[in-house]
Amino acid sequence: MFSADLFANAVVSGLLLGGFYAAVAIGLAIVFGQLDIVNIAHPAFIIAGSYTAYIFNSTFGFDPVLVGVAAMPVFFAVGVAIYRIYYAAFERTGQESLSGLAFFFGLMFIIEVSLILVYGVDYRLVSAGYATGALSIGFVDLPGRMLVPFLVALALTGLIWLYLSRTFMGRAIQAVAQDRGALQLMGADPIRIKQWAFGIGIATAAVAGALLIIIGPVEPSVGRQYIGRAFAIVVLGGMGSIQGMLIAALLLGVVENMVATFYGPSWAPAVSFGILLLTLAFRPAGLFGR
Amino acid sequence: MALSLEIRGVEAGYGAVRALHGVSLDIRDTETVALLGTNGNGKSTLMKCVMGMVRPTQGSIVLGLDGAQHDLTRLSTEQIVNLGVALVPEGRRLFPKLTVQENLLLGAFRPLARGAIAKNLAFCYEAFPVLQERRRQLAGSMSGGQQQMLAIARALMSAPRLLLVDEPSVGLAPILVSSTVSKIKELKERYGLTVLMAEQNFHQAIRIADRGYIIVHGEIVFDGRSVAELEQNDLVKRYYLGT
Repeated sequence: MFSADLFANAVVSGLLLGGFYAAVAIGLAIVFGQLDIVNIAHPAFIIAGSYTAYIFNSTFGFDPVLVGVAAMPVFFAVGVAIYRIYYAAFERTGQESLSGLAFFFGLMFIIEVSLILVYGVDYRLVSAGYATGALSIGFVDLPGRMLVPFLVALALTGLIWLYLSRTFMGRAIQAVAQDRGALQLMGADPIRIKQWAFGIGIATAAVAGALLIIIGPVEPSVGRQYIGRAFAIVVLGGMGSIQGMLIAALLLGVVENMVATFYGPSWAPAVSFGILLLTLAFRPAGLFGR
Repeated sequence: MALSLEIRGVEAGYGAVRALHGVSLDIRDTETVALLGTNGNGKSTLMKCVMGMVRPTQGSIVLGLDGAQHDLTRLSTEQIVNLGVALVPEGRRLFPKLTVQENLLLGAFRPLARGAIAKNLAFCYEAFPVLQERRRQLAGSMSGGQQQMLAIARALMSAPRLLLVDEPSVGLAPILVSSTVSKIKELKERYGLTVLMAEQNFHQAIRIADRGYIIVHGEIVFDGRSVAELEQNDLVKRYYLGT
């Protein structure tokens, strides 16, 4: 059955979902898209962000978004430390492609298993006033638990875009994977640039995690559902282009939601891989690649 | 405000291959010195040694800057750039997926250059109007001549005192070689730069050089104290002038 309001609702909630996907993928757009580091543990860091929001929300009643923002410096420091290990163990000796992948795979399991050991496999959730309400415009519903993550994700994306395009550090981050030797000739230390960028990438996971747990309950292995999606969005967006990533995330959200609405939710996860395969086949540089 | 570069007995190579054998040369303030030699004689290796990109196994490279002596063999490339040494590298080494303007702004990464960024950018655009027209274009999509101009302009954005230029003529049409070399002279005079230019095109190099060295198989075989001396040299006559 096709109806206009069902269609409109599917599009709008798809956009809201897609906005959240942008928050999930933006860290990877930096780490994978700009630095060429295949951090498959990124969604696990997002789950760590969710649990951080859960802990402070359930214990002190803090707002999950504020907890996510406040946790960014800590996540940043963790990211810097991880990059240093990764660099010393793999990148410096040129073993990053396979050993590095195994490293991040292991990291993913360590985060997951640690969370399971401490909090078990039960679903956890946060309480926030806006998460239960909804805004209605005409026949379109904007549930708070989707609308707030959407707005926060847009703000995060905008800030990262400004940082990358308007600051010396941001431009150096964009340049480091293109020619690190030339970057040294500009007076920048590529290793420090990369560790800074990796730290920023992981810091975004603190916010993305808070958004994830506002949208719905989270358990430690939920992150795996986002590995394929996040990488698909980064590739689709043209590897490292922030605007491309945002458009790809919104597109994926809408298409996934349409498929879920009109063909059934079990098909939705196939959408990201379907789009990814088609992109790689017909436009390998991504939809918005430079 | 004095600058000097003193290279003494530098030996360097790549693995078992020795590229430089006891190279010594001097550059004094506001000079333009040519390093002449055909491909594979060690010009680029010497440039890389000065920039800290290749470590000499022996010898010293000392940059004298306003009375202070800096041993460049002990400094990282970043530290050398921050002292005010810039290299226009062989093959240009632009960031192909960044725009012209983004490339230029990266040239001013050096903290000392950030304060003068507006002035330097305006000057680069004045010196190379084509770069201003194409400032939003991706660097990788420009022609070879435009890319060479961008590489030179990007090096100038770091507000250097000593400018090293590695083979500006490679891959350029003859008319572009001539205009690029003239541009280097013009920029040198305007900024009061000291220039070391590695070049295999003898005629172009001596148009702007005060003097030059000839390097063959990693050794300085002739120290020409003037352009006239270079032109009278037997090696030059044999290899370049065809007499």
